[in-house]
Amino acid sequence: MSTGVVQNEQYRNSQKRKDFYISIFIGFFAFVWIFPILWTVWTSLRPYNDIISYGIFSWPRHITLVNYFNAIREMHIGVYLMNSLMVTVPSVILTLFFGSLVAFVVTRYKFKFNLGLLLLFTAGNMLPIVLTYIPVFWMFIWVGELFGNRNLLYNNYGGLILVHVGFQVGFATFVLSSYMKTIPKEISESATIDGANVFRHYWNVILPLLRPALAALSVLMTTWIYNEFFWALVLMSDDSKRPITSALRRLQGQYVTDFNLLAAGAIIAASPTVIMFFVLRKQFIAGLTLGSTKG
Amino acid sequence: MSEEKNVVSRRSVLKGAAIGGAALATGSALSAESASAATRLKGSTVKWTTRGGGATGDKIAKAVNDAFTKKTGAKVVAQQVNSDDFQNNFAQILQGSPDDAFGWMAGYRSNHFGELGLLADLTREIGHLKSTLPTAAIKGSTSPVTKKPYILPTTYYPWALHYRKSMVKDLGMNPESINNWDDFVKLMTLTQKKGLVGYSLGAKGGWEAMGTFDILNARVNGYKYHIDLLNGRAKWTDARTKETFKYFAQLIPFMNTNFMDISWDGMRDLLLQKKTGAMMMGSWFANDFKAKSQADYDDLWVVPFPQINPKFGRDTIDAPLDGISVAANGKNVSGGKALAEFWASPEGITEAVKAGDTNIYVSKSFDTSSYDAFNKQKLAVLASASNIMFFLDRDARGDFAGPVVGPAIQSFLQKPSDINKILENVQAQWDALPKN
Repeated sequence: MSTGVVQNEQYRNSQKRKDFYISIFIGFFAFVWIFPILWTVWTSLRPYNDIISYGIFSWPRHITLVNYFNAIREMHIGVYLMNSLMVTVPSVILTLFFGSLVAFVVTRYKFKFNLGLLLLFTAGNMLPIVLTYIPVFWMFIWVGELFGNRNLLYNNYGGLILVHVGFQVGFATFVLSSYMKTIPKEISESATIDGANVFRHYWNVILPLLRPALAALSVLMTTWIYNEFFWALVLMSDDSKRPITSALRRLQGQYVTDFNLLAAGAIIAASPTVIMFFVLRKQFIAGLTLGSTKG
Repeated sequence: MSEEKNVVSRRSVLKGAAIGGAALATGSALSAESASAATRLKGSTVKWTTRGGGATGDKIAKAVNDAFTKKTGAKVVAQQVNSDDFQNNFAQILQGSPDDAFGWMAGYRSNHFGELGLLADLTREIGHLKSTLPTAAIKGSTSPVTKKPYILPTTYYPWALHYRKSMVKDLGMNPESINNWDDFVKLMTLTQKKGLVGYSLGAKGGWEAMGTFDILNARVNGYKYHIDLLNGRAKWTDARTKETFKYFAQLIPFMNTNFMDISWDGMRDLLLQKKTGAMMMGSWFANDFKAKSQADYDDLWVVPFPQINPKFGRDTIDAPLDGISVAANGKNVSGGKALAEFWASPEGITEAVKAGDTNIYVSKSFDTSSYDAFNKQKLAVLASASNIMFFLDRDARGDFAGPVVGPAIQSFLQKPSDINKILENVQAQWDALPKN
């Protein structure tokens, strides 16, 4: 009896020690992870003059919020946030709609190209999208010329949304089809017996069941599309139509870049996604592990 | 054979006739065009892009564009873009739906796109401005291939030797007479003896050290050789090129060891914090000295790079020329040309300066009487040179300067003893470039 207690205590002690080391380990990596963000915040609070006179690693002479005020003023933040909204919201809705349609067909129906289609959509994820820049650019120009308006897709929100949908729908399909496979076949069978046509089957039976997956995915997609900068940069020739990420570039001069101002701007630009993460963090984490248990 | 030749010559004669006819037609249309240009301009919209510059850039653009609207009645829609992004995507921007006129750079960067037909020919506009522009600026704006200008020159700035007067005085030297290589080496040696960096250089971006190479090559071998070298008329493996690198190698022991980690701003900070003796750089950073304190700004000085070969003296300078270009693909090309001409005209310059533009304009109309000592010295440095280079990445083709010469200079700085191999490699890469 008494030996059992001792063993138990020993076990508990060793467990405690283990926990202690694990905490240090996790703490260290958490610090490495958060360090750049803290450094950005720290930089944003210092005036430019302090940095150039005494160096980045110097003790601060002044702490000020003036960089934030300047950043908001110079970034024209309202316009660019609105642009981000105009691109992100339709992109996410369309991506989820098309992704769920494809996923629905490839998982609920059996036909010849079933697997091939799923592979095609999934394989699209593997392609480094930057490589498609020149072809996409020319496609946009040519399609525009075909309809007599160069700016039909190029330098137009429609085109940018199209590109986002095009490149995200593969991932959405992949995730949603994995999730759909977990929905029992019997539900589909009974829907068919009850006389639901294909669209009704999708809209009234499957879609409501997909809700958790859609919620998680939409959080993830919103973050990605909001943070996306490349396509907006190359497919929009008018700066006034570009999203918030471009407003940050306004803070960088041809020669002189005020990194303190830039840091303040970066924090302002990142805050919507950060706020969204804290509000919807359950869905976000669910989104990251979505489809990982069954594939 | 002879018949074939005849056919060719007949064709070329026909072609010549056609071109002549076209020229005549444009000639006769010209006067009519200029008469109707004003009426066509009125009420039209011209789109303008400012390349960087922040709030001051916007303010200057607004002042000049408003004056243009007032004069012509044409509306200007202006935007500001990030300079690097604009530069990197320039080819696509021009082929897409570009703004009509924008600030741009002279040299290869405008000639190349002009020759491809993406920038508008500005022969007529430069003709209007001829009396106000120095010939060197006109020459610098004109493509050597098509003999046509694709940019209207506006501003430039010198790349020269910068140091702090007080630090040079502390060494017992006269800051006004760093004239030849021996003075320069003495300055660096004495500075190093104090435990400081003799010559500060950054090479992180690959382009910063090009300034030093440009000027060394021009001092050792002269302007003509340098331009020939950058355009394939001289060899990188030539003994004369190697001689330039011998001088460059002499600088390395005086340099900061972290040159691969810093860019121009790191160099500036070394000088600002009194940690270096001298550096070769574009003068644009002077405002940061002023931002720190007036005393620091007053201490800053700029002189032409010291003489090496007496045959060439100090006759050459790197002074990148900027200007205004017009997109051939724009919606309102004639409006763009008119706006570009206005920006480069004395009227436009006056507006820009009034709105706070601190650049040096090439125009003869440009008033420098209110300049402070440092800016006057900048002008003197510019004026002392009879040959103007535009900086390596504008004097040489774009697929050669950045991708080949930049990395080559970086490897040289890291391992100077490899210079022969490096230069052979540069020459091989030049030879492998597609020629047109």
